[in-house]
Amino acid sequence: MRKIASDFMIEAHELRRSFGRKEAVKSISFSVRRGEIFGLLGPNGAGKTTTIRMLTGQIEPDGGTARVAGCDVVKEHEQLKQRIGVVFEEQNLYERLSARLNLEFSCWLYGLPRQRVDEVLTLVDLRERARDPVRTFSNGMRQRLVIARALLHRPPMLFLDEPGRGLDPLSARAIRQTIKQLSAEGITILLTTHLMDEADQLCQQVGFIVDGRLVACDTPRNLKLSHGQRRLTVTLQAGQLPAHNECFEDILLDMDDVHDQERLCRLIAQGRIRALHTHEASLEEVFVAVAGVQLV
Amino acid sequence: MHLRTLLAIARKDTLDMLFNKASLTVLLMPIFLAVLFVGIQALLGSTPTKVLIYNPGRSGIEQLVKQSFSNVQMIYVNTPQDVASAFGPNNARKDSLYALGLVIPADFEQRLVANQHPQLQVYINGNQVNRQQSALLQGAIADYTRQIANPQPPATIDVATINPPAANADTQNLAQAYSLTVLLCSFFVGMSLVPGMLIEEKEKKTLRMLMVTPASFADVVGGKLLVGLVYQLILSIVVMAIKGGFSGQIPIVLLFTVLGTLFSISVGLLAGSIFQTSSAVGAFSGLATFIYILPVFVVGVFSQLIGNNPFTNVIKVLPTYYLADGIANALAGQAGWGNTLLDGGIVLGCIVVIFLLAVTLLRRQASVAAII
Repeated sequence: MRKIASDFMIEAHELRRSFGRKEAVKSISFSVRRGEIFGLLGPNGAGKTTTIRMLTGQIEPDGGTARVAGCDVVKEHEQLKQRIGVVFEEQNLYERLSARLNLEFSCWLYGLPRQRVDEVLTLVDLRERARDPVRTFSNGMRQRLVIARALLHRPPMLFLDEPGRGLDPLSARAIRQTIKQLSAEGITILLTTHLMDEADQLCQQVGFIVDGRLVACDTPRNLKLSHGQRRLTVTLQAGQLPAHNECFEDILLDMDDVHDQERLCRLIAQGRIRALHTHEASLEEVFVAVAGVQLV
Repeated sequence: MHLRTLLAIARKDTLDMLFNKASLTVLLMPIFLAVLFVGIQALLGSTPTKVLIYNPGRSGIEQLVKQSFSNVQMIYVNTPQDVASAFGPNNARKDSLYALGLVIPADFEQRLVANQHPQLQVYINGNQVNRQQSALLQGAIADYTRQIANPQPPATIDVATINPPAANADTQNLAQAYSLTVLLCSFFVGMSLVPGMLIEEKEKKTLRMLMVTPASFADVVGGKLLVGLVYQLILSIVVMAIKGGFSGQIPIVLLFTVLGTLFSISVGLLAGSIFQTSSAVGAFSGLATFIYILPVFVVGVFSQLIGNNPFTNVIKVLPTYYLADGIANALAGQAGWGNTLLDGGIVLGCIVVIFLLAVTLLRRQASVAAII
């Protein structure tokens, strides 16, 4: 396999794509560094899946260029297939076949040895259920299996389209852990989601996509800091009530106000502070502020 | 097109087919039908063929008759008149328990050798022995006499048939019609198999997954065609074997079996390229059943029943008519160069046209296969 020279695993430049009269993606440009988890966030119909389809070579862009894992997505389509793994929004598995047969089929397609099946089944903790038909699997197990399938040929770049959709909290957490583990192993990941908490926990960089345009792109921390308020809510002990029940009082302090800074120091010295809360914006609040639309 | 990915897809489809109980039942239906028809035939044919025979010289003809019919029961009589009175004169209408009557002179073989042209009297009951069986028996007797003595004809075979079947109502050879029907039904399976597999990939969105692997759309279609072709061929040959269809002109039967397989696979491919849902293919397959069944009624033994009428002429528009005609002729041993070339040529031409049409439609889909 050809070595990837660039530090960037994805370099998209002014990508455009229309379906009939509908412009699904309008001139999107962004880049993703090697080993990074990049989140493409946006409401349904914003153009996330179309962007992934262009980057994975499933559809050709109407305009612009993109290189993924060192391959031009249009001109080097066949090489690209060997370097990417894709987890689709739909859990598109062969339901009647067992988990093992689903993975073995992918091994036949890529010309891989069968031992690789056991390795990925172990990675996603499905070895015990390997012989069971997929139709008997829960949503979470299916999602782990599609991730296992995407990893079979050891791609350096992984695309995950809505990996947490429809999963219960425990399954979603297991998937997030798997994604973090893959990132720690050096795999670059681009994921789309409309779950802001998921993106906040996983991504080193996020891009907000609205109506086919990338309206913001930065680290979650920078985005939150740039749109948050520099204020503190301080919870104080106000006095002692009967039956040893404490009475609390909340006060709001401006971190840029000199008087409030001095007051905070005094309260700390008096030992009356029970809790401190920053007014950092959530990623969802930043999205609403930047995009002007709610996530659906 | 890559051989490895094509074979991988074919292998997966075969396994998937085996695990799908519903479709497996449909796929094996022609075999069940063939077995059923064999059972019915065995039940119908289990009554003994009673032969009334006058054979004082223990002629080998008796053995020949035993070999020519199944479950033969010989009833020996002392005089030729006993046989004659049991059957009556030629073309008479008479209820008789016996299928055949034979009057063989005492020194039949010796007189053959002496070139004295001995006379053999054969009585046939048309209610129990059809024209083809009658002709085969007479041919076998003639061959037997030629083996003993030459020049020809060494013996005079006098045949009297009672209850003769009407010239245009030869309905007794149902076995041949069964073979034709079951074989044509088996072709129908191949026609629904290929689009079924192709559309399931679209419906379950697994085609999208395949499009980001080393497989191309052509590999996907090729893999399914391979499974359909191999399965259809095996199925048709098994069905023919069960039904005893390897009779008549076997190479021509096999030729039309291959043509039928290719035809049904091409139609299946066309259906897979046009329709996008299993229910649409199901509806199409239901209607398409008729194009396989209808020709059965206007070729072979049934054609004598129906005769030439507007319905027959409409059926002749269908390519499956020529397929059925070719098979029926071959099974009956009546396929000549002329009719074989005509039937085979028309079917082959239709295969080429349908296949090219399907490929054109599929090529259009290939560019958007990943988002179907």
